[in-house]
Amino acid sequence: MTFPVEDKQGFSVVILNGEVDLNNSPDARKVILTCLKKMKHVMVDLSNVEYIDSSGVASLVEGFQYARTNNLEFGLIGVSEAAMSVLRLARLDQVFKIYASLEDRLENGS
Amino acid sequence: MAAEFDTGRFRQLSELLGRKFVTGVEDFGYGAMLFVESVMWLLAGHWMQQRVRLAAVAQEMVTIGVQAIPVVTILAFANGAMMAMQGIYTLRDFGAESQVVTGIAMSVTREFGVLIAGIVVAGRSGSAIAARIGTMQMAQEIDALRVMGISPVRYLVSPILAAMLVMMPLLAILSDSMAILGGGAISGIELHISLETYLSRVFAVLAPWDIFQGLTKSVVFAVLITLVATSNGFNASGGAEGLGRATTRSVVLCIAAIVVADMIFTFFLSR
Amino acid sequence: MNVETTQPVITVNNLVTYYGDQKILDDVSLTVNAGEIMVIMGGSGSGKSTLLRYLLGLHSIDGGEICLFGKDISRLSTREWMEMRKKIGVSFQGGALFNSMNVGENVRMPLREHTQLDENTMKIMSRMKLEVVNLAGYEHLMPAQLSGGMVKRAALARAIVMDPSILFFDEPSAGLDPVVAADLDNLILRIREAMKVSIVVVTHELDSAFKIADRITVLDRGRILMVGTVDEVRHSDNPRIRNLLTRTSEDEPVDADEYLQRLTEGAMRN
Repeated sequence: MTFPVEDKQGFSVVILNGEVDLNNSPDARKVILTCLKKMKHVMVDLSNVEYIDSSGVASLVEGFQYARTNNLEFGLIGVSEAAMSVLRLARLDQVFKIYASLEDRLENGS
Repeated sequence: MAAEFDTGRFRQLSELLGRKFVTGVEDFGYGAMLFVESVMWLLAGHWMQQRVRLAAVAQEMVTIGVQAIPVVTILAFANGAMMAMQGIYTLRDFGAESQVVTGIAMSVTREFGVLIAGIVVAGRSGSAIAARIGTMQMAQEIDALRVMGISPVRYLVSPILAAMLVMMPLLAILSDSMAILGGGAISGIELHISLETYLSRVFAVLAPWDIFQGLTKSVVFAVLITLVATSNGFNASGGAEGLGRATTRSVVLCIAAIVVADMIFTFFLSR
Repeated sequence: MNVETTQPVITVNNLVTYYGDQKILDDVSLTVNAGEIMVIMGGSGSGKSTLLRYLLGLHSIDGGEICLFGKDISRLSTREWMEMRKKIGVSFQGGALFNSMNVGENVRMPLREHTQLDENTMKIMSRMKLEVVNLAGYEHLMPAQLSGGMVKRAALARAIVMDPSILFFDEPSAGLDPVVAADLDNLILRIREAMKVSIVVVTHELDSAFKIADRITVLDRGRILMVGTVDEVRHSDNPRIRNLLTRTSEDEPVDADEYLQRLTEGAMRN
């Protein structure tokens, strides 16, 4: 299984969906890092995620760090309450750039 | 009173003997179970998604085998030298001291080389393994492994077994060579045989079967030491004192097991 | 996993266990619901730690049944057990960290053994969990270099690294000073909140039990005295529970014959 990527408004939007767990978080990681390695700004859409475990979150962390060291933008959009509580546990909600949607990011800037 | 047969005492004694016997059988069964399970993990671990890690095996090979090299070298050399001395003195009465070479070559490769290696490994690793696993048992680390879904046998026993199976024969070969060299040194001094002549005579008397006999034993020793040491570790209980007891028991049983096994093997193989 | 079903995650029915000839647990039945914190409480010798060991499948039972996630654990194959154990986290009384590995390796161990995740992902995951238990930066220390409270928190990080559905604690506050113990209680509550995990805590500490429990099971001499909410237990008039709560022990009535028999058994040989 792999996750779809849509190129919109200068961003690669990686759409994660369903359950992101130990089985498919390596795919998510690969998709995110591939986009970043093409030197694209990345938004990860979590609005269709029912559940994300810490391996999924770890992939997001790795992507964010990669983006920062390469002066790319990396944000999360449509973070559900379930995903938020996982982020909050390790205080990562204060670390990631989180937007309601891509439009929100475009209107209000980074 | 004195003539009266004390049935109570007798019963106690027979009860004790019976219990010891049952414990012995239990221990044996436990060891056999460990053996089957650890071999199973070595062979089928990959399929069960529980591989035996090569890094762990390599680590054990170093602690069990490589670090035993100096002791085995010294002990085997000294033993070969002693056999030569005793052989020469005994055979001198018959005027057959030059036959000492045959004696050394045979008994070292068939018997003493591997036995020395076995006793060194039993002494070093028999205690260390029992102590390590016993400590883990008492600190609930074994339970932690099990509840993590990691088989303690796969994680702890299989690497040791694999390492032993590789290192024991190698140590036995080392031990053989060192003992023969030790004998050569004494023969050189006492009988003025040059090392070259000595070695060529050694190789002339040695048949592949002699070396094979020693190596077969080394494999058996490897299995015995692994099982005795690990099962003593797993069954350790009762704090620091219990750990000491388990460690001592492990070394004593390891040495006893290999000596007895050696005797049985020699009985059958030397016919 | 995010279990939102109403089905209990743990069901114990009429559990009976022996140690030799001695009955340790007698007709123990209880359920733990998804997302619930169940505290198993009792004095020493009540069988609470034994019960935990059986729940973890460390011994085979002598009667009754234990179901985890609706499956009878005594009927699981080795492989099914291993799968199930990935969804279970355990924090042992003494931590049970592997002494030959540093803290980071300890926390990563379940990942290393059970997943094919990238090394980077494993590192980040283990560090995230160390952040959760406030042990950030202690990754490279060996267990022997940690204080008692830190060992417990490191063990907790290891227990939650696979995002388990059930988390077991054996005497979390034993051997800790009250402040550290209270911190650990808060941590347990936070983890339940964020991870939606069901938690079973075995303890003899009343304060801790009342603080974290949704329901409490009171064990006494291998039998269940009561199962109830914190308030129900607090206000119970069962004398044995009152004893436990007030930490006193009333003298029990003496049966003279039995008592004499106990004292003199085997000591009256002429």
